[in-house]
Amino acid sequence: MTTGTPVIEVQHLTKRYRDTLAVDDVSFTIEKDTIYGLLGRNGAGKTTVMSILTAQNFATSGDVRVFGMHPYENAKVLSRMCFVRESQKYPDDALPRHAFASARLFFPNWDQEFAERLIDEFQLPMKRRIKKLSRGQLSAVGVIIGLAARAEITFFDEPYLGLDAVARQIFYDRLLEDYAEHPRTVILSSHLIDEVSNLIERVLVIDRGRIVMNESTDAVRDRAANIVGDARAVDAFVAGREVIHRETLGTVASVTVLGRLTADDRAQLAAAGLDVAPVSLQQLIVRTTQHAAESSPAASGTIPADIDEGALR
Amino acid sequence: MSRTVNVVRMQLINKQTFVWVPLLVLGSAFAISLAIYAILASSGLPGPFYGGGSQAPLWVLFFVGVSSLTLTFPFSQAMSVTRREFFLGTLLAAAMCAALLAVVFAVGGMIEEATNGWGVNGYFFALDWVVERGPLGAAFFYFVLAMLIFTLGFWSATLYKRFGALLLTVVWVGIGVLLLIAIWAITRFELWGDVISTLAGLGAVGFAAWGLAVTVVLAAISYLTLRRTVP
Repeated sequence: MTTGTPVIEVQHLTKRYRDTLAVDDVSFTIEKDTIYGLLGRNGAGKTTVMSILTAQNFATSGDVRVFGMHPYENAKVLSRMCFVRESQKYPDDALPRHAFASARLFFPNWDQEFAERLIDEFQLPMKRRIKKLSRGQLSAVGVIIGLAARAEITFFDEPYLGLDAVARQIFYDRLLEDYAEHPRTVILSSHLIDEVSNLIERVLVIDRGRIVMNESTDAVRDRAANIVGDARAVDAFVAGREVIHRETLGTVASVTVLGRLTADDRAQLAAAGLDVAPVSLQQLIVRTTQHAAESSPAASGTIPADIDEGALR
Repeated sequence: MSRTVNVVRMQLINKQTFVWVPLLVLGSAFAISLAIYAILASSGLPGPFYGGGSQAPLWVLFFVGVSSLTLTFPFSQAMSVTRREFFLGTLLAAAMCAALLAVVFAVGGMIEEATNGWGVNGYFFALDWVVERGPLGAAFFYFVLAMLIFTLGFWSATLYKRFGALLLTVVWVGIGVLLLIAIWAITRFELWGDVISTLAGLGAVGFAAWGLAVTVVLAAISYLTLRRTVP
């Protein structure tokens, strides 16, 4: 569900570390009650952006407003947000139950019953010190806090690190179920783009500190199509179009082309007996970020302003 | 305000760090000191015996101060706590811990005096210089000492977290050099007599008042540093 009410407004946000530009003059808004995928390569600036939005880190310049207010040292704003880092530190010698008891103190919408169900489902050992937990169990502690806190804006920073496929599925299922009952804004940063593609309603792609895409997942998917059928017929159809991926098996080909299909195109496809299949979001995003990299002259160089539109053309 | 109180509860959720470890160290140091006094007494020495074992639990607070920042501060950020709430709540938790130790020390000192040093003329809590102004003075002295040592740990950890190991080392080496210069100057100008009589004149309470001033300054520096610290 997309409401059009912004909960986060970012204007010209820049973050410079000594010799690197982590976030480069970024402006975007995040809408209320929507699940966002914050996607991008390692070091693209995902964690930096999330820590600045939650006032854990500081902007070099630019303006960040959450619920219309500045988040820094603002308990009214912060108490409505939850951001558990991928490399979150916990108090010395703390057990998982200590961490959850703390979260219960600070998050007004905390649901203890939900937390306990998640502990059970993730099979989290409650009597082992957090620092002795495995990577996956450590991630589970963060995931449980993020879900059960039910904050109005929840950030998940690579929440699946070390989680096995079953645990990841539990996370996706519970997130969607709980989101349906208690709508809220979720910003999920992830590398596993295809795995989360059914979860996210909007994609926010960040590359080299710039936002290169902020669109609904459906609109992104519409930007390309997979044409499947007889190889010769497929080749005839894709001639002159930009092909980003091709697979063939015998006489059957599956080719991904960029560009929205027009009604004419669809008629042509039907006449040729070709099928249209959905495109992998991952392929599209990879393509977008590669494009952005190619059109950027230097590592910290500027990306043309029209890249948002031009990236996929 | 209630969120600041919640920070106290967060720091105390795992009572091991703030309560049980200092008390355990105190109990052990006390037991060992008492055993030594008993051995000395049984070998016919008249006493009175004094020991420095009562410092031990105070130094534990240095590490409590360090870990309450290096580990609990990043966690408090994940709990969406402001830096101000974290700072005030953490110092409040430390003050409660220091007050607990101060009460134990003051009561221990009273028992010691009432029993003539546990019957063996050995003193762990009631050092003459500390108890000369009564149990309240002694409690104040120990409270300030505990807070000062906690704040030293907290302050060091804040500098480390914000500016890195190099700056922290430079600061501590700088403090060491200043102390060395002071000792050299006092020795060179033969002022030790004056220094000792001034300290004796100050008494435990006067000394603690100065300690409190240093604590407040260190805490203020820590807060200003923490305001821009990234977890």
